Amino acid sequence: MMEVVLKVENLTKVYRIGTIGTGSLRQDFTRWWNTIFLKKHDPFFREQPSVKHSNIAADNTLWALRGISFEVGKGEVLGIIGHNGSGKSTLLKILSRIVRPTAGTVRGTGKISSLLEVGTGFNPELTGRENIYMSGYILGMGKAEIKKKFNEIVVFSGVEQFIDTPVKRYSSGMYMRLAFAVAAHLEPDILILDEVLAVGDTEFQKKCLGKIEEASQKNGRSIIFVSHDLTAVKRLCTKVLWLEKGQIREMGPTDKVVSSYLAKVTPIAEPSYNLEQSDTNLINPFFKLAKIQVKALGKDKKGLITVDTPILIDLEFNCHLTEGLIELNMRLFTAKKQWVFDLGSPFVKAKRGTLAFRSVIPANLLNDIKYSVSILIFSKTGECLGTFEECISFKVEDFREGIDYIGDWSGIIRPKIDMSLSINEIVTENP
Amino acid sequence: MSGTQNSDWEISNRTSYWGLSFKELWQYKHLIASLVRKDFLLNYQQTVLGPLWILFQPLLTLATYVLVFGKLIQLSTGSLPPILFYFSGIVLWNLFSDSLSGTSNIFRENAHIFSKVYFPKIIMPISAICTHFLRLAIQLLLLFLLTGYFWIFQGLAIHISFWLLAIPIIILCISLMGLGMGLVFSILTAKYRDLNNLIGVGLRLLMFGTPVLYPLVAIPEKARWAVQINPLTPLFEAFRVTLFGEGSINTAFLVYSFVFTLAVLLIGLFTFNKQGDKLIDVV
Repeated sequence: MMEVVLKVENLTKVYRIGTIGTGSLRQDFTRWWNTIFLKKHDPFFREQPSVKHSNIAADNTLWALRGISFEVGKGEVLGIIGHNGSGKSTLLKILSRIVRPTAGTVRGTGKISSLLEVGTGFNPELTGRENIYMSGYILGMGKAEIKKKFNEIVVFSGVEQFIDTPVKRYSSGMYMRLAFAVAAHLEPDILILDEVLAVGDTEFQKKCLGKIEEASQKNGRSIIFVSHDLTAVKRLCTKVLWLEKGQIREMGPTDKVVSSYLAKVTPIAEPSYNLEQSDTNLINPFFKLAKIQVKALGKDKKGLITVDTPILIDLEFNCHLTEGLIELNMRLFTAKKQWVFDLGSPFVKAKRGTLAFRSVIPANLLNDIKYSVSILIFSKTGECLGTFEECISFKVEDFREGIDYIGDWSGIIRPKIDMSLSINEIVTENP
Repeated sequence: MSGTQNSDWEISNRTSYWGLSFKELWQYKHLIASLVRKDFLLNYQQTVLGPLWILFQPLLTLATYVLVFGKLIQLSTGSLPPILFYFSGIVLWNLFSDSLSGTSNIFRENAHIFSKVYFPKIIMPISAICTHFLRLAIQLLLLFLLTGYFWIFQGLAIHISFWLLAIPIIILCISLMGLGMGLVFSILTAKYRDLNNLIGVGLRLLMFGTPVLYPLVAIPEKARWAVQINPLTPLFEAFRVTLFGEGSINTAFLVYSFVFTLAVLLIGLFTFNKQGDKLIDVV
């Protein structure tokens, strides 16, 4: 059994909305009177409080967290994912001792440091050197500790030349790098990180991730990591907690939770046509879109389209044309309107009835970006009989296995092409 | 689970009045030092006169007071030269008003740091007080130089006695009173912002209710109580008595000042500790 370094039990945080304005002095006084003199526990903040006990209407309370319990073991990296407003930040703030929970406890062993923002305690007027010390002290480092790591921090940040310049004259990139460098050299037993990897260039992000991995794997530090960057979460975390509306929706092994999160949060494909309303009209007098679907085939990832799943595009039209040969043209664009490809179908003879189109884009062809499909229908003579521009769009999700690279993958496609790399050493014989 | 038995720390919804841990504060001593350093550096960086402002500011005030209250209104300053009388008043008053107003802004000014990283919040007021002490030390030096000048060239009588040792206690008392009141106000201004305006006005009024510009004896007997209930009065008087032998010491009033200081300091610390964590949700 892994040693538990952090144990969170039934953590709850309730915010009262709209109590900052008038009337709060009286309310504060009532509450103070109740808790101090009548020895009642906080009237509306007991465990599992129900609205009945509260003297504030239900719509005035916001449950930022509700009954959260989990444990973090030594050397474990726990990722926390969830929408904005799901309670991630509140949870981190409680763990960092910045705000107090309304109910529940957090128990832990060892030193805990948190990094909710890059550059906390930085003062633009001070020099890089002074800021390293200032920020280090605020984050809880000792003087000797900073002194020992000073050179390492400076080298890591890459701002050696400007270390005695006030940081207000730094570029924002330099500022961020220096700020993160200080934080990256913290050596707590438990480190709390909030979205901090969203700074700097890809190169620097990689360096930071490396530093974090090293901390957990080599030095046995536990890390709690909140991020929207699921790729980073997948690479770093051993366990993931998915928060939704202040409650734990799912917790478990990274891959499992991340893929069910993705399946929930990303609409697999969004048709831009309302099938009920789209009738034949002036632009498309002969064809009415009857069915439109884009979905992943094969591998069960809860229907999620990822870079390694084949993608089925399935369309049906009601055809009102009765003569001539027609062909269907499928055009794929990226969200930035870059044209990826243009496919023409074989010709069919037009008849009153249903025109069905199916196409499977093979796995390992598209990149993890958003695409949209446009459909055009042509006659044999090249006359355009129907246009359905961007009738459906879909997002391909990232999936990487055995690849060390994180960060955006460039390009509008990401085909899997066999490559080989070899090197023949020239052995020179000594004369 | 192993975690429950040997946990080092616990976070829960309980807040305590006595949240001060000197051991924890000691761990952050370097932070206090570098905050004081920062305050000094930043106040005087990119100024023409630099740290000399520590002396110029009270000297300019002194010149104004000597002109207005000394020459125009001709307020009595007892047997002391007006310059020494006003300057000792100004230096002490600055300490009190800086301690109070500097502390009362703590939450609003540092909300961005308090909401991003944990460290004992009391560090901010402590470092502010340290800065004011340093400034005071420099100003006191000037006061002593001025006194020396009057002693040598103007034949001012000085009473060197053991009472001089009381000066640090008086100074400490004044600044702790400022700190205590500032801590209470820091909580209040964070919650109800308009109080901040009141502090400025209140301080100005209080100054005229304190023997900064006049000796206590200059107040008519009937109205004297109004100045005497001010806990700062005995301290200002005692300061001048120990240094120049000017004024009067009343033990009962001094005890009243000390008790008041202690009470206000404890109330300040308690509310600061108790309310501080909750305030982060508000500011």
